[in-house]
Amino acid sequence: MSFDIALIIDSIPKMLMGIGLTFQLLFLSLALGTALGVMLLILRISGRWYLSWPTMIYIYIFRGTPILVQIFIIYYGLPQLEFVRDGIFWPILREPFGCAIVALTLNTGAYLSEIFRGGVLGVDRGLKEAGSALGLSVTDRFIYITAPIAIRLCLPAYSNDVVSLMKSTALASTITLLDMMGIARTIVAETYAPYEVFISVMVIYLIITWAIQRTFGWIEKRMSRHVRQ
Amino acid sequence: MSDSDVMSENIIQLENVDKFFGDFQALKNINLSVKKGERIVVCGPSGSGKSTMIRCINRLEEHNAGKIVVNGHELTSDVKDIDAVRSEVGMVFQSFNLFPHLSIVKNLMLAPQLVRKVSKAEARDVAMKYLERVKIPEQADKYPSQLSGGQQQRVAIARALCMNPKVMLFDEPTSALDPEMISEVLDVMTDLAKEGMTMIVVTHEMGFARSVADSVVFMDEGEIVEMNPPQEFFENPKSERTKLFLSQILTH
Amino acid sequence: MEAITGWWDDFFWGSLVVVELFFVALFLTILFGLIGAGSKLSGNKTAKAIANGYTIIFRGTPEILVLLLFYFGSAITMTAIAQIFDPTIKFVDIPPFWAGSLAIALIIGSYATETFRGAFLGVDPGQIEASRALGVSNLQTFIYVRIPAMWRLALPPFGNHMLSLIKDTALVAIIGLEETLFVAEQAIGTTGKPFTMYILVGAIYLGFSTIITLSVMRLEKYANKHLEVTR
Repeated sequence: MSFDIALIIDSIPKMLMGIGLTFQLLFLSLALGTALGVMLLILRISGRWYLSWPTMIYIYIFRGTPILVQIFIIYYGLPQLEFVRDGIFWPILREPFGCAIVALTLNTGAYLSEIFRGGVLGVDRGLKEAGSALGLSVTDRFIYITAPIAIRLCLPAYSNDVVSLMKSTALASTITLLDMMGIARTIVAETYAPYEVFISVMVIYLIITWAIQRTFGWIEKRMSRHVRQ
Repeated sequence: MSDSDVMSENIIQLENVDKFFGDFQALKNINLSVKKGERIVVCGPSGSGKSTMIRCINRLEEHNAGKIVVNGHELTSDVKDIDAVRSEVGMVFQSFNLFPHLSIVKNLMLAPQLVRKVSKAEARDVAMKYLERVKIPEQADKYPSQLSGGQQQRVAIARALCMNPKVMLFDEPTSALDPEMISEVLDVMTDLAKEGMTMIVVTHEMGFARSVADSVVFMDEGEIVEMNPPQEFFENPKSERTKLFLSQILTH
Repeated sequence: MEAITGWWDDFFWGSLVVVELFFVALFLTILFGLIGAGSKLSGNKTAKAIANGYTIIFRGTPEILVLLLFYFGSAITMTAIAQIFDPTIKFVDIPPFWAGSLAIALIIGSYATETFRGAFLGVDPGQIEASRALGVSNLQTFIYVRIPAMWRLALPPFGNHMLSLIKDTALVAIIGLEETLFVAEQAIGTTGKPFTMYILVGAIYLGFSTIITLSVMRLEKYANKHLEVTR
């Protein structure tokens, strides 16, 4: 057993060809998942049971089952159903890429809405009262007081969730997508050199994680620059 | 005098107000009327219902029974009326509750812009005017966390004043402050009283009550026990509970 | 639905494998978490550096990558070692069960490290001082004051780690462990009903998550029962 440096040098550029797909999966499902998370949050805190209950059930199901199973249900499972094959979303659900985006979005949206809720609940009640006492409407209070403070509060958790999402994108390799992980698995299947290939791709993932954390660290610092430590 | 005349004269009127938190009755049959320009100081032991009472006046708490009329609006669950009342009744909290993400001047501009729909420039002018009145115009562009407690509370007063309220409610405005900062806040409140503002102040600052109040209300266990002009209240308290309370608070 | 009939047994045994995997990995997770937290809090620079490296790597790498690296890496290593003794051997691997539980425990253990560390530091120093001031020994203070205060703090985040753990067990099907997801793939092979089978797997996992959530809630209630305010 030896450590094949030439293989590493050879395989890193190949795996980097998949980084674009990894980023597409990450950014697209992050953007869609954030929008979904905000929507779910608003339904959840609407105070109307017929809106908040289904939302809670949705969140419960998507947080209570493995993302891998969700991906399999959407990619392998849904085509079993005729109305899906005849439906308008078929062009998306027919493609593994579309399925991966849908699964990652639905999953991360459930987690994000809970993170956002944590932020909203963390806003000091006194500040909302001060808003009420000034005569601000419910909507204005949410937009100008609760939301900006809640965003600051949930930024660390949001950043953790972005890292989780980035890690989940690697599961796209289980439905034939050739993201970085998919390419790495292909190379390992050909060369049977798991250490060289997997450790190299691991280093790339770690760099991405580091970059995400640095970016959010910087944003947090900027946003809280007026708060005295 | 007819009923409606009494209404128009009293800017705030509470009639037989009850308030429950679960099984606990926080307010028992409260009757209070406040005329325009009147200054009322409310005192009493902690848990006596004094904060709850003034929080009911701008409906931060909902009362369960009785009637509350503020500036001609009866407080019901009608949202329009509540917003109308809230924009005419200013409130200052024990814990300041300044918006930490907004600069001082933006804290003052927010409600006039959103509720009164005044222009940004005008809101800024009004904000600066009131910051000068509370004597901290130079802090306008700082953030709340950069100010001392006394300064923050003065900003909170200015923020309420920017809405040009007809009544100001103060909920223990000095009890979260270090002793050396209390007087700077009380000075601002005294100035405000001199200008004829209608005020209800929950406080234990008896010196302030003596020099500023038209009447002092003593509450205990959710009830108004006694209400008299300060002279009478301090020299000649009627009930035993008032005497006990005064002896505790004045000897300390 | 009738497609499932005939597969109930397999799904039952598959679920049992998930449960076994969960408990083995849970035990190892707590072990790794305590070792990691202890190292981070120790004065020893090397231990600290290793623990930091551990949490950075295992929290920043996709779970599936850790699992595959473990399984195939160990297989290569074991095969190489075995070939020293018997050159005719072609392939040796560690059982997927052990590769899987070890990989999952290392991943979740890296999160547990941070949780335990935070809980340890989160105990009010005043309580420790009070205990020491009463003449209670260091060790006794640790056992009777610090640990009880600490596990109360660690429990809510650790409950979330347990949920992550149970969900990560699904990944082990990828390296061929015969748990529910693997059973589902076999069942699909003969019945051609992927939706039905995968939904069933989802339902099984939802059941496990519910049990864990309820257990953690009960434990939290127990941990905080004397902190409840009585009116």
